[in-house]
Amino acid sequence: MTSPELLHELRASRPQAPAAVRLRVRELSAPEPARAGERFRLSFRRLALVAVPAAAALALVSAGAIGLSRSGPAAEDLRLEALSGEDAKTAPSTAEALTPGAQGSATTPERAQRIGATLTIEVRNSDAVSRAAQDALDLTRALGGYVVSSSVTTGEEASATLTVRVPVGSVQDAIVQLSALGRIVSQQVSVEDLQEELDALERRARSVREQIARITARLQSGTLDAETRALLETRRAALRSELRQLRQGIAGTEAEARMATISLTVATPGALGAVPVPSRLDRTLDEALNVLVWEGVVALAVAIVTAPLALLLVAAWLGRRLYRRREEERLLTAH
Amino acid sequence: MHAVTLDAPRPLESAPPTFAAVAEELLDDVYGYLLYLTKNWALAEDLTSETFETALRRWKRFDPRRGTPRAWLLAIARSTALDWFRADSRRRRREERAEAREPRTEGDPGLGEGFSEELEESLRALSAGEREVIALRVVLDLDGEETARLLGISPTAVSTRLHRALTKLEERMRHDDVA
Repeated sequence: MTSPELLHELRASRPQAPAAVRLRVRELSAPEPARAGERFRLSFRRLALVAVPAAAALALVSAGAIGLSRSGPAAEDLRLEALSGEDAKTAPSTAEALTPGAQGSATTPERAQRIGATLTIEVRNSDAVSRAAQDALDLTRALGGYVVSSSVTTGEEASATLTVRVPVGSVQDAIVQLSALGRIVSQQVSVEDLQEELDALERRARSVREQIARITARLQSGTLDAETRALLETRRAALRSELRQLRQGIAGTEAEARMATISLTVATPGALGAVPVPSRLDRTLDEALNVLVWEGVVALAVAIVTAPLALLLVAAWLGRRLYRRREEERLLTAH
Repeated sequence: MHAVTLDAPRPLESAPPTFAAVAEELLDDVYGYLLYLTKNWALAEDLTSETFETALRRWKRFDPRRGTPRAWLLAIARSTALDWFRADSRRRRREERAEAREPRTEGDPGLGEGFSEELEESLRALSAGEREVIALRVVLDLDGEETARLLGISPTAVSTRLHRALTKLEERMRHDDVA
């Protein structure tokens, strides 16, 4: 018998189930059971189909939420904080340090002191630089001070540099009000004692005056020879010259102690070379990315820890499958 | 090499099918498959009933998107038959009986109606695995993919197994002719 004939005979003689079996199966299937699709089945594949995206979404949402919470206040607030946070706190304390008699004050009202302050203020743009410079000048005059020097540069990186002098009694108000012109970038106050210098000048001036008085008395006695008189008059002239210088020095020192010097720089962020503060969105994304990285690290750690167990389970499953397949082969060969 | 030309698998008509309709349509397929596998008509009848009982219990879990009802039923039939083979092997070992082929009894309808004596004997001489692949691919017209899924082997392995089984069957029949 050839192969086609063989196949034909095999197909033509297809076994038919006996009537008894057919009847038995008909009786069996009389009450129609419900079929799949009529109710929800939670298969592993469906579970994975839901669980994997849900876990990914949860990771993203948690990263976003943590990123948002860690990114802090709005960018503008942060900028203020970054620029004026510590410095803003120092403005009143600096002013307090200059308040005569205040606790912790660096100044002593009964002593002559040279007081200087250097302020750097940031404003938004060129127009604000001009306005702030003008306000500083007006403020200086209003406080009874005067402008030593002033320089204003306009443009994209605008800046103004002012040196003003204000009465020592108004320096506190001046610093507070100048600090309010913009955001404080830096602030420095120096106090130098001039009292010893002033005292020395006054002592020397008294001594010179006394010497002049003694020389004047001897010259008025009329008993001096011509040579001595000439010597004393020369000596008195030199002392009078020194006394004039001493008086100028004392006046200058006292003037120095009466007025405080304030150097003010007003500039835009570009002119100051300030590093731009990232927006809250940027910080949120950065924080979220950090959280995602950590989640990835944790997931990787869990995978590393569970990988050997998973491999064992897979190996056991494959081994069992192979065993069953061989057993089936053996059974099918034996029968 | 055999020139095996097989017809396309028959599509199941009703959709969605009821269990009764599926059982009615596929009863012969299941019975024929089990008869080829066991070469014992009484056992094939029992296993057929058992197969449909199991299928009825599992019918609510059957998902037509994952396979045809025929493949699903034949998988249950195969599992049922293998369970019986396992039990039979244990019983034989327990009773310390040498494995002997079941003699064909009087009145046994055979593996197929109208089979020649040579074909019947040659089929019986094949192993259950060889008869199984002939039943699935030739008698029941399952395609290679479906048969491969059912047997848990690759389609290539199915082709190889079928080729060997048919070669063996042909040689045995030729030998019988010579004898």
